[in-house]
Order: sequence, then structure tokens, then C-alpha cells
Amino acid sequence: MEIALIGNPNTGKTSLFNNLTGSYEYVGNWSGVTVEKKVGIFKKIQGHLIDLPGVYTLNPLSRDEGVVTNFFLHESVNQLLNILDASQLERNLHLTLQLLEFERPVLIGLNMVDVANKRGIQIDAVKLSKSLGVPVVPVIARSGKGCDRLVDAISTKSPEPVNKKLVYYGKEVEAAISALSKEIDGKTEHSHRFLAIQYFEGNEYVKNYFYEIADSEKLNLILVNLESELKKQYASKTLPSFIYLKRKETIVKIMAETAVKSSSVIPLSEKIDRIVTNKFFGIPIFLILMYLMFMLTFDWIGTPLSDALDAILTGPITNLLENVLTAIHASDFIHALIIQGLVAGVGGVLVFVPQIFILFLFISLLEDSGYMARVALVMDRIMESVGLNGKAFIPMIIGFGCNVPGIMAARTIETPRERLLTILLTPLMSCSARLPVYALFVGAFFAGQRALIVLCLYVLGIIVALILAKVFSSTILKSETSLFVIELPPYRLPQFQSLWRSTWDKGKGFIRKAGTFIFAGSVFIWLLSYAGPGGINVDMDRSFLALIGGVIAPVLVPIGFGTWQAAASLITGFLAKESIIATMNIIYFVPNDSSLQGLLANYYSPLAAFSFMVFILLYIPCLATTATIYKETGSKKWTVFSVVYALVIAYVLSLIIYQGGKLFGLV
Amino acid sequence: MFSSFKPGERGKIVDLSHVSHLVQRRLLDLGITEGSEVCVKCVMPFGGPIMIESCGQCIGIRRKEAVQIEVVKV
Amino acid sequence: MIASILIGTAIFGYAAYAMVKFINKSKKGKCAACDLKNSCSSNCGLPPEVK
Repeated sequence: MEIALIGNPNTGKTSLFNNLTGSYEYVGNWSGVTVEKKVGIFKKIQGHLIDLPGVYTLNPLSRDEGVVTNFFLHESVNQLLNILDASQLERNLHLTLQLLEFERPVLIGLNMVDVANKRGIQIDAVKLSKSLGVPVVPVIARSGKGCDRLVDAISTKSPEPVNKKLVYYGKEVEAAISALSKEIDGKTEHSHRFLAIQYFEGNEYVKNYFYEIADSEKLNLILVNLESELKKQYASKTLPSFIYLKRKETIVKIMAETAVKSSSVIPLSEKIDRIVTNKFFGIPIFLILMYLMFMLTFDWIGTPLSDALDAILTGPITNLLENVLTAIHASDFIHALIIQGLVAGVGGVLVFVPQIFILFLFISLLEDSGYMARVALVMDRIMESVGLNGKAFIPMIIGFGCNVPGIMAARTIETPRERLLTILLTPLMSCSARLPVYALFVGAFFAGQRALIVLCLYVLGIIVALILAKVFSSTILKSETSLFVIELPPYRLPQFQSLWRSTWDKGKGFIRKAGTFIFAGSVFIWLLSYAGPGGINVDMDRSFLALIGGVIAPVLVPIGFGTWQAAASLITGFLAKESIIATMNIIYFVPNDSSLQGLLANYYSPLAAFSFMVFILLYIPCLATTATIYKETGSKKWTVFSVVYALVIAYVLSLIIYQGGKLFGLV
Repeated sequence: MFSSFKPGERGKIVDLSHVSHLVQRRLLDLGITEGSEVCVKCVMPFGGPIMIESCGQCIGIRRKEAVQIEVVKV
Repeated sequence: MIASILIGTAIFGYAAYAMVKFINKSKKGKCAACDLKNSCSSNCGLPPEVK
């Protein structure tokens, strides 16, 4: 049994999906969290549940919405589970009416009844069920209340919808529907009425679908005739708005029967909004929040914890391993592999877990509270001036966690040009994997102003992205159309449990990566540093790794770190940014008593260290990100471009910083 | 006209036809159309977007699109 | 000596396996640090004109 979850954006579909399937998918409080379909298996009954991106209508504007229409046209589904936001019922019902026209069994989950009640809206689920002709189950998806009843309703096979023609579109449209039905009769398994109405609304996906199965000229003739007839009869209305108004009439009727509104209190949202979207303080508040996050990460909690972890790792754990290795008479090779390769490499990455978790906690907080959409609003003026829109800022903030989901999130941007621009620029956002590099270097060179320096780097990433957006949008990606309409969801007090889950879910990937890729990478990097043309156990400067790094090192001299060590770690960084730190730990392997931070001072000046951090920030999207860019743009040209421009800009900027800094007498 | 609205003032939309097609579609999706009552919540500086409320939901739109919406005060 | 060989084989074997798996996963554009994307096929969102 295949059941599809469908509803308006930000109505709690994914929360419900997680509740029903016991899996954990990404949830957040803004429109467009889910940008692709996800399949889960029901906890209690047999069957698959398919989570789809939120849509307002089946006639799509953006890429993520297209996922839904495509799904409807090309995949079979047994039942539709339509989630409605009770506090925005009128708007939600537009989609419901379209779903009912699809003539598949529909079950309605009436969500956010609590929010609606607070706003003074009472909805009678029984009456709603009667007027729509399908079962309606009230639920509170966030807490899981009512989910059991929903599952019961799913498993008891619901009858086909009774009132097949809930909306009467008027004599002319109905006649055109029957005419069109005749044309496509026997050629499709979908409801003719549904397809016809979507076609009249200008649904491009349905148009293309018709193109495959029927004589498009005949269909077009029906459409043109209908349009002209309507123009004659009802002056100046376009066909889509005519259909919209007909649906609205029906909805007004349904609302009158089922909903009671009373006066409501001013929600907390508005009070917070007065502050965070304040005329002058909007952007400073965002920066202060980020600064606080870095203070937490680097000064108050993160670094002390990570230092403690480091102490445990280099002390008791290393000693224990040494003892075990001695006890089993392990060879020198194995001894070195484990202590200098694995413990240094994997351990060196793992000690940053506390910092990474604080960062993820903060991002989860942003996502869950409803602040995300406000940031988009606050940033829109700046983004507009560089040829983007405020919505592009959301993928960028998600990119702070990991660039891959950031690039996927760009699907919610409606205009193709702005979407492409956002995809190209998201890799400049400093992802969590780059954080350990900063942590290491600011600890070694800028211990006094850790948080400030890291904030500078993040802001630098944003500024470079904005400047490049301006450059690209006024040269290679010119276009006039831009669209910015954003829904601002009410604030929610984040629940501890969901906050922890989403933090853990992002963070556990980091730990898993340490156990898989970083483990493997450490083994090979260590092997390359252990062996050389002269045999094994060579001096590291004569190892294969030094040879490989040495090829690139001369190029890096002008930007301050022309050592084979730096070059080698940059190369491994393309596979995954975390491996930069693993590689450095292996290359600069130090015995227990001194630290890597102290050793770094021999290889970098503070200025070179800053130049290095800037280079790491910008130099290349990692392999997974590059592949995602290719997948999302579908273009080799743009993928190559995204890699090349990043390299160029990183080099130029590091050059300016290093040479400029030297000019001003900094070292 | 929206441009003369101050935060907190309410109005009724009379004409959306001058607004660009895409914006019209999105507003329609969000349930905002001719006849909807809206309230200006806040206005961003330097010609930035404005935040309007309709039927208990808040929406951000650009100022240059907002001024193309015909509204009468209520 | 036997212990050394065993440990060595285990480590290198696992490392090779993990490396191959990671690179394959990355090449598909899946975020290696994120297993939310198990069940997704992200090309399902392409509009008809691109296909």
C-alpha cells in the first residue's frame, strides 16, 4: 500500500511523517523544508508513506513543487493523506479540492487544531468530513496526538470520495471538460476531469503530459475556445482566476458550515517580530546571534570540552593502545599505523565533536523557531541589490551546516536564474567540516579573539558570495524577473526533544564520517607519509605525500603557505573538508607532551594562518557538493565553473590578504 | 496605495492586475486576492520589503511590488 | 607477528571498503555526513522541459 502525504508548505507533514513511520526526517519552521519526496515504512501497519514537498496548488511554480505534480502524473498511489493547517483552512482547502478532483481515496488530517483554537478558530471536523465527503481526523503532528486514530483511518480502507463534483465550474467550463475528456478517453488512467481542469489552469506539467498522449492541437483549440467564450460572457477574467474564484465560492460555503471564528489575542509572534525585524536592528541582531554562537562554540563551552577530549585521547587512550600493542608484540609498522595514523587522524577529527554539535544545535534552533523566514525578509533588500532575493539566504544558512542540503534547498527559489546563482554561491558558506580547521588555527594564533576571527570568516564568506552574485548577475546571468513573496510562519517555542533530535541527526553524520571516510583517509594518508621512493619508514620529507604536495607547493608560496604539508592537506580536502584536519594531524604528528597547536607556529606566521583559513573557506566545493551541483543544475559547464571560480577567488583573496598584510608590516 | 500605509494600518485590496504575473500567482496561493483585507505589520528600511498580514498569516513582499497593489484604507 | 598481520589486514581491508563506499556515495551527490537522503532520488524534481 502506497500512501502519499500532501499539503501546503509548513503544515507539519514531515512531523507527521516522522511520527507515523518512526523515522527521522528533517523538520523546520519555514516553507520549503522538504524539497524532494521521501519514502518511509509505517510503524504499525503494512505500507509505505511518501512525504512530498509542500505545495499550495498542483500547478507548480518552483522546482520542489514540480516534484509533487510529477509524482501525481507518473506514479501510482493508493491513497492520499492530505494535511490541513486548521488555522489557515481556507487557503489549504484550495489544494484539497484539487486532490478530490484527482478521484483517488483521500483522507484528511486536520493539523494544528491547537494553534487555530488559540487564534479563536473552532473547526467542526465531523461537519467538514460531511461537506467534503471524506474522513477527517484531527491531529497535533508535533506532539503526535491523534496519530493512532489517523493510522486506524488509513488501515480501514476509505471509500471513494462521494461528491465527485464538489466544485461546479459553470456551464462553459464543464462543457469544455467533457469535450476534452472525449479527446483523452482511454489514453490515460488519471481522472479526466482533474487533468482537464489542471490543463485549463495552465499547468505546464499536464500540458507536457498531454503532449505525449494526445493530439495537442485539438486540445489547444478547446482551451482557446473556452477562453474566448469566457471573455465574452464574463468580461476580462482570465481562465485560471475564473477557476480559482469558482473554487473559492465552494470553500466559502464549506467554511460557513464548519468553522466558527471569535476574536483572538495578539500572538507572541507579533511582539517578537517587532524586535527581530526592526527597521534598524534586523541585521545587527542576526550578527549578534552569530557572534553569540561562536562565543559558545569557541570560548564558553566548545573549546574547553574539546580540550578535555583531546587530553583524554592523547593521554589515557593512547597509553592504553600503546600497552595493548606492546603486549601483543605488534610490529613497528602496525604500531605506527595505529598511533600515528589512526589515533592522530580519526582522533584529531573527533575532538571537534563538541564544537560541531553546538553549531548544529544553533542551526536547528534557527530552523525550528521560525526565525529563518525573518532572516530572509531582513536580508532581501541587500540580496535584491546583488540580483538575488531574500529567500536565497535560507539555503546559505543551511549551508553553514552542510553545503549539500543547502544546495538542495535552493529548489524553493522560483526563478531559474536566481536558483542557479544560489546553487553556485552556497559552497562559499562555511560548512561545519571547515570549522575544525578554524578551531585549530584560531587556537594556535588568535587565542584572544577566537569567536571574532571565526565570525569574520563566516561574514567574509557571505560578503564574497554577495559580491560574486552582483558580478555574475550583471554579466553572465542577466535577467529581469525576480520574485520574492515569502510566508512568515508564526514563532514556535522549540521543544527540547525535537531540537535535540535534529541536532543529533546532523551531528551523528559527522561521527559516522570519522569512523568511515576519515578512518580510511587516515590510513592511506599515513601510508603515503610512511612510504616513499626510498622504501618504507622514510623521513616524512622524502615520502610520497611530500612528493605529491611538493608539486603544488610552489604555487602556494605567494599566498603564504608554500609547504608540501599545506598542499597535501588541501588536496585531501577536496574529498571531504574534515580530512584537512586529519591530514594535518598525521603530517605534523607530535608525541604526547606537546600539541599540534604549538607546532604549527613553526610553519605558519599569524598572517599566513589567516590567509590559510580564508583559502580553506573558499577554495573548492567538496566532492559531494560538486556532485550535487551537477545533479541540481544538470550542467557540466556550471559544475566546472563552480569549482574553477572558487579556486580563483580563494587564491586572489588569499594573495591580497597575505601580500597586503606584509605590505602593512603584519607577519 | 500601500506606499502611504504606516505599520498597523489596515486596508482592502481592490486591484492586483498591475502586479507581475508570478507575484500574483504566489499571492493567490497564499490566499491573497482582490477583496482580501490586509494589515501592514512592518516596513524594512532603505526600500526593503514590507510585511503584511492577512487572515492571521504574515507574508513578506517587496516594496516595489507592494506599491503596484491597489488598496483602500478601511 | 600473526596478530600484526591480522590487525593490518583488518585495518587496510576496512579502509579500502570505507573509501570506495564513501566516494561512490559522494559522487551521487549524497551528503556523506547525512543519511537523511537514503530514500531520495533528487532528479525527480526536474521539470519536463529539462528531461
